[in-house]
Amino acid sequence: MESIVITGMGTVTSLGATAGDTYRALLKGCSGVRLISGFDTEGFDCRIGAQMPPIDPSNMGIHPRDARIMGMQGLMLMKAARDAFSAGGLDKRPVDGDLIGLFMGMGIVDYEFKDLLPAVQYSLNSGGAINDDDFFSRGYREIYPLWPLSMLNNMALCQVAIHLGIKGENAVFAPHGDAGAWAVAEGVSAILEGKANVVLAGGVSEKISPLSLARGLSADILNTDPSLNRNVCPPFKAEAKGTILGEGCGVMVLESRSSAEKRGAPFLAEVSGFGSAFEREEETMRPTARAVQRAMDEAMVDAGIDPAGVDLVIAHGDGTAGDKNEIDAIAGFFADAGRPIDLYVSKGALGNLFAASPVVDAILTICMMENGMVPAALYVDPVEHHTPFNLICGKALRKRPKCVMINSRSHEGHCVSLVITACR
Amino acid sequence: MGKRVFKRRVVITGYGMITPSGRNVADTFKSCSMGKSGIDDITAFDATGLPCRIAGQVNDEWIRDDGFSNHKRLLKFSSRGLRLMSIAAREAASRAELPKVSDRQRIGVSIGSFGEDPPLEEIVWLHRFYDGEGHWDLESLTREGGYNFLRFYRRKPDMISAIIARLFDCRGSNLSSTSACAAGAQAVGEAFRMIQDGHCDVMMAGGCESTLNLAGFLGFVLLGALATRYETPQTASRPFDRKRNGFVLSEGAAVLILEDFDHARNRGAPIEGEILGYGSSSDAYRITDSDPRGEGAILGMRKALADAGLTPEKIQYINAHGTSTLKNDISETRAIKAVFGPNAKKMAISSNKSMLGHCIAAAGPIELILTLMGMHCSLVLPTINQTHPDPKCDLWFVPNQAVHKAHSVAICNSFGFGGQNGCLCIGNTF
Repeated sequence: MESIVITGMGTVTSLGATAGDTYRALLKGCSGVRLISGFDTEGFDCRIGAQMPPIDPSNMGIHPRDARIMGMQGLMLMKAARDAFSAGGLDKRPVDGDLIGLFMGMGIVDYEFKDLLPAVQYSLNSGGAINDDDFFSRGYREIYPLWPLSMLNNMALCQVAIHLGIKGENAVFAPHGDAGAWAVAEGVSAILEGKANVVLAGGVSEKISPLSLARGLSADILNTDPSLNRNVCPPFKAEAKGTILGEGCGVMVLESRSSAEKRGAPFLAEVSGFGSAFEREEETMRPTARAVQRAMDEAMVDAGIDPAGVDLVIAHGDGTAGDKNEIDAIAGFFADAGRPIDLYVSKGALGNLFAASPVVDAILTICMMENGMVPAALYVDPVEHHTPFNLICGKALRKRPKCVMINSRSHEGHCVSLVITACR
Repeated sequence: MGKRVFKRRVVITGYGMITPSGRNVADTFKSCSMGKSGIDDITAFDATGLPCRIAGQVNDEWIRDDGFSNHKRLLKFSSRGLRLMSIAAREAASRAELPKVSDRQRIGVSIGSFGEDPPLEEIVWLHRFYDGEGHWDLESLTREGGYNFLRFYRRKPDMISAIIARLFDCRGSNLSSTSACAAGAQAVGEAFRMIQDGHCDVMMAGGCESTLNLAGFLGFVLLGALATRYETPQTASRPFDRKRNGFVLSEGAAVLILEDFDHARNRGAPIEGEILGYGSSSDAYRITDSDPRGEGAILGMRKALADAGLTPEKIQYINAHGTSTLKNDISETRAIKAVFGPNAKKMAISSNKSMLGHCIAAAGPIELILTLMGMHCSLVLPTINQTHPDPKCDLWFVPNQAVHKAHSVAICNSFGFGGQNGCLCIGNTF
C-alpha cells in the first residue's frame, strides 16, 4: 500500500499568519489568548479568546462582492488554502483540477445579528413588536440578497474551489475537532482509491462572536474564572476550568509518495493512521475514556504500529472536564509501553480551534519534526497527576519526534486520532 | 494508512423516510407513483406578502409520535428537523432489524443536515437587547431568559448525528456532512466509503431538512431561487418544463441502513439493494450559479460510474437533481447528454422534486430510496407538470405518469448551492 505524504501546508492562528510564525511563537512560550476585541463583551462571563488579527480580503485579490459573504472563517480558509496550494507547488506544477480533491472540517457558521437587524427594524411597530405585514411584504428585503449563502456551511469550501480551480472529490464535515480529522482521513481515502491525485484537507475554527461565546457559556465549556484577566484554558488540570475559544485554520496538501516524487514536491511528513469512535457519558455527553482509547487503538492499527512506536502525543486537552477521560485513555493506551510518553497540548496557547485543531496540530507536528524542538504546553502543572506521561511544560523539549499521535474530540461523544510520521 | 486489499460490497438493508407526501416510505412511494404532488400553501407561518407562499410541509399529525417520549432530556434539543429524522431512522432501523446487531461499536452514523435556523420571534426578541452597533445589553437579556441556549444549540450541525447515534445506540464513526443541497447524497457517499474501507460494518446514512421558517424560507426567497409564478401549489414544481420558474422548498428526512454484504448475509438481514459507486465533484465556477456547461455534474456522474466500474450503457434510469430552475434544467440536460452520449435520449430520467419539492439536505437520500423502490416494483416514477416541455431539455423525462419498466441499475444526482455535487450509483442486483 502506497504511503500518503504531506507536501504543503498553510495555517493561520492568533499567533501568526504562517506555520513557521505560529511555531516560533509557541517555542517562545507566547500565547494568543487575550481580551476579546471587535465587539463589546460586557456582560459575558468569559471575555477572553485567541482571536485572529483582521484579514483584509483586498490583499488577497478577493472581489468585494465575494468578500461580503465570506466572513472570518471564509477568509482564514482562503488564506491557508492558498498558502498550502503554493507551498505544495500546485501553482507552478499544476495538477488537473478534476484530480484535486478538497475536504474540510468547518466550525459552526453563526448568524451575524447585524445582517438581519435592518429587516427587523423596518418592521417594528410603535409598541416595539414586529408587524408581520410589514415584515413579509417589504421588511425582509432589507437583508442583503446573498446573505443566505453566507450562512451555508459549505460556502467557504466552494469559494476556495472556485478560486483555485479545484473540481475533484470533496466533502465538508462539521463542526468539532473530529470534523477536521475526518477531512484528512477522507482525503487520504480519496487518494488511495485513485479518485484524486492531490487533496487539500483542512479545518476551520469558529469565529469568535457574541453567539459563539453565548453558545460556549450555555454549554458550560468555557473558562469563566473571574480571577483570570487573560490567558488560559489550562489543559489537564485536576480542577477543569473550561476551555477558551480560538480562531485559526490549517490546510495540508496530501498526495501519494509517487505523485509527490513525480512532481518534485517536498515530503514534509506522512499521514499514516486514523481512528474514530463515538460513545458518550449519559449525563455529561462528553466522550467516554473507552471511546478516546478506541480511536487511538484504531489509528495505531491503521498505521501498523504499536504504542511503543509512538514518541509524542498531542492531546486534545481543551481544559474541560472531558480531559479526565482523555488522561485515562492515554494512560490505558500506553500502559504497556514501558516508558512515560511525551505529551504536548497546543490549546493553552492557541485556544480551542474546534475543526481546525487536529489539522493545526498536524502542521505543528511537521514543524517539530523539521526543527527538533517540541514547544512547552502553556498553563499546565505537571505535578497534578501521577500519570504515565511526561507533559512538556516550563520549557521547550529538544526532541525530533518521529511518530506522533494527535487526539481530538467533540463535546458530544465523537473521538478521533491521527498518526503522523516522519518520512523515511 | 488504510491497509485494505479489496473494497467490501455495501448493501442496503433498510430504509425509512418522512416527506410531504407520506409518513413513511410506502405512503410516499404510493403517492409519487400516482403522480400526486405533496406541495401546498404554507401553514407553518403566515407567508402573506411573500412572492412564494407554497411549500412541501410534513403533516404535523405524522410527527406527533417522534420517538422522544422516553427521552425527555433529548427532547429538549429536538428541532423539527431532528424529529423528522428520528421518525425516518426508526422506520429504517426496524426494517433492517438493527436492534439485533450485537457489536454496536461497528455501527456508525452519517447525516447531512444543518443546524436549525432561528425563528423570527427569536430575532425580534434578541433585537431588544442590541443597539445596532455591536453592543449587547446582556444584563437585561440574561434577566429575561438567558442566552436562550437551546436555540443556539440547534444551530449545531452535529447535534442530529449525535442524537441519532444516542437514540439508536450506534457507537462507531459519526459524521455530519454540511454541503447544502448535496449534503444528504454526500453523507450517504461517505457512509458507503466508511463500510467499503472497513471502518464500520453498518451505517445509518441520510439527511434531514426543515427550514420552513424565517431564516430558512426567506433565505431562498432572497436568493430568488423559489417558484413565484404558479397557478396552483401542486403545479409550481415543474422540472424540465418551459413554464418552470424556480423550485419549491420542502421539508423531510430519510435514512438508509448501509451494511457490509457479508455482515448482512451472516445475520440474515433483508438485502434490498446495493450502493455500487459514489462520486463527488465541485463546479468551481461561481458562488451564485452552477456551471452552465454542467462540467461539475459531468465529472460527478463519471466519477460515480468509474467508482462502480460501470460503463454509461449499464445505467437504466437517472434520478435527476431536476430542481425546476432554468439553470439546473439546462445544465443537467447537457451533462446527461455528455455522459451518456446517444443513449441519453433513450434513457428514463425523472425528477422526484416535481412532486416532493426540494428537501435540500434530505433530497438525496429520499430520491435514492424512491429509486430503489421503483426497481423493486419495476416502476419508473414520473416527472409531473410536463405540459410545456422545454425544447432545450429534449430527453425522456417520463412525463406525468409513472411507467412500468424493469430496471436494476440507476444513478441519482444531487447538486448543491456553491457547486458541490454528489452522485450515487445504486443497484437492485441481488
